[in-house]
Amino acid sequence: MSIAMRPHAGTSHGELLTRIEQLRGALHALRRGRLVLVCACVALMVMVVGRALTVVLPAGAWSRWPVLWLLGSAAAAAVFWRRREAAPDLVQSALWAEEQRHTRPDFALTTAVEMLAAQQEVPEALWVAAAASLNSAPIAAAMAAQRRAAWRGPAAFALCCVLVLMVGWLQPAPGARAKTDARSITGKTPSGTSSTVPALGAWQVRVQPPAYSGLPAQALGDVNSVAALSGSRVSLQGRGAAPTVELQLVGNDSIRVGRAAPLVKTYEGGWETSVLAAEAPLTVRLSRGGRTRLLVIEGRPDSIPSVTLDAPARDSVFREPVGVLPLQATLRDDIGLARASFELIVSSGEGERFTVRTVTIGAMQWSRSPLMPRATLRGSLNLASLSLLPGDVVHLRAIARDAHPGAQREYGSSETRAFRIARPAEYDSVAVEPAPPPEVDKSLLSQRMLLLLTEKLDKAQKRMARPEVLRESLKLARDQARLRLAVGDVVFQRLSGESSAEHAHAAGDGHDHGVDLQGGKLSMSTSSTTGMLEEGNDSPVIAINQPLLEAYNAMWDAGRALEQGDPHGAIPPMKRALEAIERSRAASRLYLRGKPPQVIVDIAKVRLAGKDTGQVTRRTVREPLPSRLAARDARLVQAAQLATRDVSAARDSLALLRAEALADAPAFASALARVLDALTAGGDVTAAFVEARRVLGNVVRTPGSVWSRGVVP
Amino acid sequence: MRDTRPAGSLSNAPTAPFVFATAQYDSGDWDSAPLVPANIIDSVARYTSLPVRPQGVTVPLSSEAVFGYPLLYLTGHLPVRFSTRETDVLRRYLDRGGLLFVDDHNHDVDGAFNKTAREEIKRVAGPLVPLPNTHELYRCFFVFENGPPTTSHEMNGWGDNLVHEQLDAVVKNGRIRVLYSNKDYSSEWSFHPDNKRFLSVDNTRFGVNLVVYALTR
Repeated sequence: MSIAMRPHAGTSHGELLTRIEQLRGALHALRRGRLVLVCACVALMVMVVGRALTVVLPAGAWSRWPVLWLLGSAAAAAVFWRRREAAPDLVQSALWAEEQRHTRPDFALTTAVEMLAAQQEVPEALWVAAAASLNSAPIAAAMAAQRRAAWRGPAAFALCCVLVLMVGWLQPAPGARAKTDARSITGKTPSGTSSTVPALGAWQVRVQPPAYSGLPAQALGDVNSVAALSGSRVSLQGRGAAPTVELQLVGNDSIRVGRAAPLVKTYEGGWETSVLAAEAPLTVRLSRGGRTRLLVIEGRPDSIPSVTLDAPARDSVFREPVGVLPLQATLRDDIGLARASFELIVSSGEGERFTVRTVTIGAMQWSRSPLMPRATLRGSLNLASLSLLPGDVVHLRAIARDAHPGAQREYGSSETRAFRIARPAEYDSVAVEPAPPPEVDKSLLSQRMLLLLTEKLDKAQKRMARPEVLRESLKLARDQARLRLAVGDVVFQRLSGESSAEHAHAAGDGHDHGVDLQGGKLSMSTSSTTGMLEEGNDSPVIAINQPLLEAYNAMWDAGRALEQGDPHGAIPPMKRALEAIERSRAASRLYLRGKPPQVIVDIAKVRLAGKDTGQVTRRTVREPLPSRLAARDARLVQAAQLATRDVSAARDSLALLRAEALADAPAFASALARVLDALTAGGDVTAAFVEARRVLGNVVRTPGSVWSRGVVP
Repeated sequence: MRDTRPAGSLSNAPTAPFVFATAQYDSGDWDSAPLVPANIIDSVARYTSLPVRPQGVTVPLSSEAVFGYPLLYLTGHLPVRFSTRETDVLRRYLDRGGLLFVDDHNHDVDGAFNKTAREEIKRVAGPLVPLPNTHELYRCFFVFENGPPTTSHEMNGWGDNLVHEQLDAVVKNGRIRVLYSNKDYSSEWSFHPDNKRFLSVDNTRFGVNLVVYALTR
């Protein structure tokens, strides 16, 4: 944009105004141009930020170019609307022109334009000065300089954004890059055809579960792995010439424990074969025209029912064989229950003579339709009906069978509860007269009650008068002292069998038996007690109940605080005393159980009497077990390397590895399934491989095979 | 003769004494033959130079402490029902190379112990099969040409009134994991070892074979 504002000696009013008008238009264009550039920067910036977000956020519809373009345009329009300005008026334009002069402005031009705009008469002298001012201003140069200053920054910023966007345009988005990687991985196989196309074309997999299960048939379509109940018939249908089929039973560590060739039927334009799912994983390998395809059949065994005996909850001893016991068991099966009952084994007799009889009660049956995967078995056991005698033992358990037709089919059973009828002469029978609790237990109860009363007094003392608090506190102190003496009676065990603690002592009275009384508290003497019985002294202490000693001393502290009318201060030592008594009580508990007579063989004596010395065959070191983990790790790495060349082969290797890991490393098998999914989806498989290797390294093993028994998934 | 012993073989290893362990299970009377351990220990000391601890131990079958003993002795009269924990520990014990010797104290094939113990063993370790009388168990120390020695309780008509010709076992990879007897060695061997002097032939010699087999195979 150029404005011709040449100085003129004789400038008319109209010409002056025209030139100012032109200047005003040039200034307006300069500002509008800068605003447009700023808006373009905003639009480009929005697009750059949008593309940058796809690095950290999953790409979606929002990250496509048209959407980003629209967003940028909207932002630019908003900025334009908000920052738009009206064109400068004539006076401002005249003022700008005067400011561009190198000399000090005299504002003649501004004043003349103001008067012209107001349609006033302009004095001649002012007019001449205004014309001179206008002619002397370097308007063209100033306009060019201002244009450069105003446009250069936004233009440079916009250029940078354009460059960034062009780089981003040339670099594919992360999602697109993943697809590209997958294409490179799944590229050409050695035979020259794309391996993403199944070697034998699509097939249709259909699973027909065994009839006893009552489950419906499933059409699964074109899949590479199928989980089927053991005994299910897995059918495969495809088009074209019949392939050769090889069946392998997969065991642990790639041990092929079986191999067979199922029959392939052909019909017009297609073929069909079927395989019976076993309890272990099977692989079906189909070959045609030098190409193979693998189907993994994860046979899932029909678990035996899981039985939990809910009632009765524990073993018992009955004094008399009378009464009715409610029985309840929870039954679960992965498919459906068929029969269940409670089984009793009644053992009578003793020593070498036992008779046993089996009784079944509470039998139930379920039909196959509808299937009953969970049930509760209830019944009642009338002890009198069993004609039990003292000493008889009843073993009770619940058993359940499912509908599996196998002749050797196992049944599920619960834990066994045992009920014994006590003999009258039994020492440990329920006929034992209850004994009073020992001293420590009585102290425990009393100390807890004293503590509760003290805490109650502590809370209430704010509302009570001081004499009343003191009176109640003294009562508690007396009880505490009584209890302390009772505890003191069992602190020390003496050689003579007596127990004692507190009695009159005086320094140097010669009454030394290993215990000192220091300020009311008991402590072990540091003097000459050595456990020897001395004439005139008490029998020496042979055992000290340390927790009770601690309780005794804490009670002393508590009693003193109570005597001073300070129940709050008595609470901590009372708690310490209670805790110490509980420790003593726990330590003194004895749990007796039947113990066989102990015969200790005198080895030396026996060997001196021996006439022969044995020569033991040397033990041979067994061969180390093959490292299953190392082998699997190596195969995983090989499969990962293979994935860059032949995805189909890598998929088959991984499927085999997964089938082998199903039984003993389900976490690893699950990680391999994710690798297979990633391969199938054509995405980036690196992360899935890394995860699988980490899972393999951590080795989270289940205690038993998930296929083995008892666990309903 | 070339010595084919690998480095660190038995002769170089520290010799920990053999400890006879009796399995204590929740159900039944696991302690019905309290003198059998002492008798076996006496025989091992009497006939072999194996270091042996003079007193047996009782190990709960639900405790992983059983892993410290190469031979576990289990007997009883009453029904045997292993708890889930006992099943788990016993299965791992056998997988680690332990030998479980189960003796039916009823010597009765129709008895509760025999029926239930066989069920439990089948559940834990697999089915029991007859052990041939030519098995190395009968030759690894004393030689028993006719297989397992008979017991007086078999001969005098107690229990099922049968003389069991063979023992049963669960064998894996050529090694006995579980040895099952209906011959009632628990009664035959349950006497104080001092009374062996009254026997013309020590009837506990087969116990030595059991220990030697457990330690060396």
